[in-house]
Amino acid sequence: MGFMPGCSLPSYTPEGVKKTMEYLKQIYPDLGGVQKCCGKGTKALGQEEKFKERFAGLQKDIDDVGIETMIVACQNCYKTIKETSDHTDVESLWTLLPKIGLPEEVRGKAKDSDVVFGIHDSCSTRYEKEIQDGIRWIMSELGYRVEETEHSRENARCCGFGGMIVPANPDLATRVMKRRADDFESDHVVVYCAACRSSMMKVGKKAFHILDLLWGPVVYNEEPAPEDVLSSPAKSWINRYKSKHAVRQVVKA
Amino acid sequence: MEFKKNVWEQASHITDGCMGHEDAFCTAACPMHTDVKKYIAQIGKGDYEGALKTIREKLFLPNTLGRICAHPCETDCRRNTEFGQPLSVAGLKRFAAERADRKELWEDSVGEPTGKRVAVIGAGPAGAQAAIDLRKAGHEVVIYDKLHVVGGMMRVGIPEYRLPREVIDFEYSYLVDLGVEFKMGVEIGKDVTFSQLREDYDSVIVANGAHKGTIPPVPGKDAEGVFNAVDYLKDISLTHKFPKAGKKIAVIGGGDVAMDCARSSWRIGAEEVLLISLEELENLPASQEEIDESQEEDVQFINGWGTDEILKDKAGKVKGLRLKKVLSVFDENGRFAPQFSEETQEVKIDTVVFATGQQVEDITDGQLEQKGGGRYVTDPDTLATNLPDVFAAGDASGGAIVVQAMALGRKAAASADRFLKEKDLAEGRNFKLEYSFETRLDVPLPKGTENLPRTSGNHRSAKERKRDFKAFDLGYTDEQAQKEASRCLQCECKLCMTECLMMNDYGECPQDIFGEFLEKGEIDPIIPYSCNMCGGCTHVCPNDYKIGETFMGMRKDFILHNDGKSPMDGHKAIEVHQKLGFSKIFCTKVKGVK
Repeated sequence: MGFMPGCSLPSYTPEGVKKTMEYLKQIYPDLGGVQKCCGKGTKALGQEEKFKERFAGLQKDIDDVGIETMIVACQNCYKTIKETSDHTDVESLWTLLPKIGLPEEVRGKAKDSDVVFGIHDSCSTRYEKEIQDGIRWIMSELGYRVEETEHSRENARCCGFGGMIVPANPDLATRVMKRRADDFESDHVVVYCAACRSSMMKVGKKAFHILDLLWGPVVYNEEPAPEDVLSSPAKSWINRYKSKHAVRQVVKA
Repeated sequence: MEFKKNVWEQASHITDGCMGHEDAFCTAACPMHTDVKKYIAQIGKGDYEGALKTIREKLFLPNTLGRICAHPCETDCRRNTEFGQPLSVAGLKRFAAERADRKELWEDSVGEPTGKRVAVIGAGPAGAQAAIDLRKAGHEVVIYDKLHVVGGMMRVGIPEYRLPREVIDFEYSYLVDLGVEFKMGVEIGKDVTFSQLREDYDSVIVANGAHKGTIPPVPGKDAEGVFNAVDYLKDISLTHKFPKAGKKIAVIGGGDVAMDCARSSWRIGAEEVLLISLEELENLPASQEEIDESQEEDVQFINGWGTDEILKDKAGKVKGLRLKKVLSVFDENGRFAPQFSEETQEVKIDTVVFATGQQVEDITDGQLEQKGGGRYVTDPDTLATNLPDVFAAGDASGGAIVVQAMALGRKAAASADRFLKEKDLAEGRNFKLEYSFETRLDVPLPKGTENLPRTSGNHRSAKERKRDFKAFDLGYTDEQAQKEASRCLQCECKLCMTECLMMNDYGECPQDIFGEFLEKGEIDPIIPYSCNMCGGCTHVCPNDYKIGETFMGMRKDFILHNDGKSPMDGHKAIEVHQKLGFSKIFCTKVKGVK
């Protein structure tokens, strides 16, 4: 059993990565860890050969540390490994948590919150009902209220970040982000992809990664959402570096 | 640059099957392909003039058709096939005409003179449409009609209470505006021979209609007081009278013409009107509206009975009918072959009108071959006859309703125009689009569609209307028309276009985008590189087209032809980003420990 934070999540929240791994380590004491990109970005550009090469590198890392089942918190990592690896099993953190349960101290912690979260499902896993159910289960366990929209679950719309269109067609990307934000009545949106969070933040939503809600303080209406870290490349890479150390630290603890 | 075979295949698969530009059910069913949903939307917005202009793009007689069209559009309307309550398309068309039609809006330009002359025989809808199209193509056109009034069967077949004559005259004035010449009261084959006409003109359109009534060979048919529907309706149309008719009138037949005869009978003073049909009530070929309106007017229906004998008194006048019970109307092969039982009944009447079919009378002295019902033999695609300069349209070639006659008139005109320009009659023509066709549109009902009832119109009370020739239907009020227009489902696919913002920047539907790619063999890389690959399009596509995958295939080909790099400038940063994502500085692997 191992955990792989991916790219955008460790760039956003080393703290979230660390706490998640610490909890997983309690359940799976022999938890391993890999921090590397799954190559989805390379693949999305259409660089087929380079993607094969890069994924092979990831596969080697996974094999080197003897991980048979990889737990992931990114929907693109989930899909990429599932579609590409011929021997590594992949499990989404969002389906695993309902099976292993949440730590006692976080259960019901947000029952007094006045926030109603819109749920932004990731378009890459629009047909993964179990993942979507897991998110709703976590929200309910924490005590948060949520609202479903016409564009929930399999009807999810892109946050605007997908397909590497931001650098290719930034004006369009912004329109897609705005349109997605308009799907929600609530100002507050919970996401389970750090890139989606950044998109929603860019167009004025108070967006929270579900790990912010799981490990962070209880959210109330008046308070601002965490900073849009991914908009700053410098901060993102520093975070990614910190996350790498968190992975090493927790596994070796 | 070259794209791989799979990209071409996927793109052509989508282009061939995409329903984005597929016609709505109403428009495909209309032989003239009126843009129904467009003008209904315009009425809904209160833009009556816009609606009228949309109708007039295809139809020169919106008010006429709004009253009497047999509206195949309504039969195929999604609200009919789903809920049995079609949009009142015809009623809305009439509404637009009544609110907005004026001569100043008519598009009356004609083409450069060609020096060619065409004779059109018949001033009915087929002849008139052919004349309009030929005039617009720059030919001189002369319409001949044996009647002194325009409109053909619309004038002498369809009763005035359904179609006021001033409506026909007003709408036909368009032909005069275009410069079509009329020679009324001239009968071809009698006043002028068909051969003479062919000599005098470069081409001839035969659209003389089916004006010969028929009476089946039943015993007693020679009695005084037996008439055919054509003569009956024609005399009533022209004079509001039929002096030879008595007071107790039996109409034999089950179609719209029979209903028209029955309802007209009240209006010339009948005291009792029977409608006797072989078919049972639920199988009558007449339109439901005409059946309902006849019943409201107290026409007594005797359905499922055939005429055994017309009974005469000593003076040879009709005194009644002996009817025999029908067992079946059609045989196993669907052919008309009525079977009767021994059961009979007698009805006392003094007049019989047979509305059991009408034929085309030959006006060509046998120069054109005829088939069943006197219809001239034509090539169904071009309406060409055995004479190269002669084309037949309307009833003369086999249409059944006014709007079909118009489509056939248009078809014959298109062929005549090609003949006059010495062009091939068929080359490059899409015959499917020249008549009703079945649309490929196959989409789920729009979300939240409710079964809303059809907005009923304003009919004068049966008691009042059945004794005069004034219009029985007063048409929609503004409020009713708006309400009815709001029921339109605006049937179209383009479901992906409601999901995808990006494709809207490059076309109206995937067919545009991929069709252009197939045509040009290339695509601006910004298009495939603007796809979010979110799968929203495929999710809502009724055909599950893999649009994102197709764009991805294109991306891969761009990479192959660009040294392994994306052609988009902005992607240079992603390349660096990806490189770092795999670099040792940011990556780690750690084996778990117990």
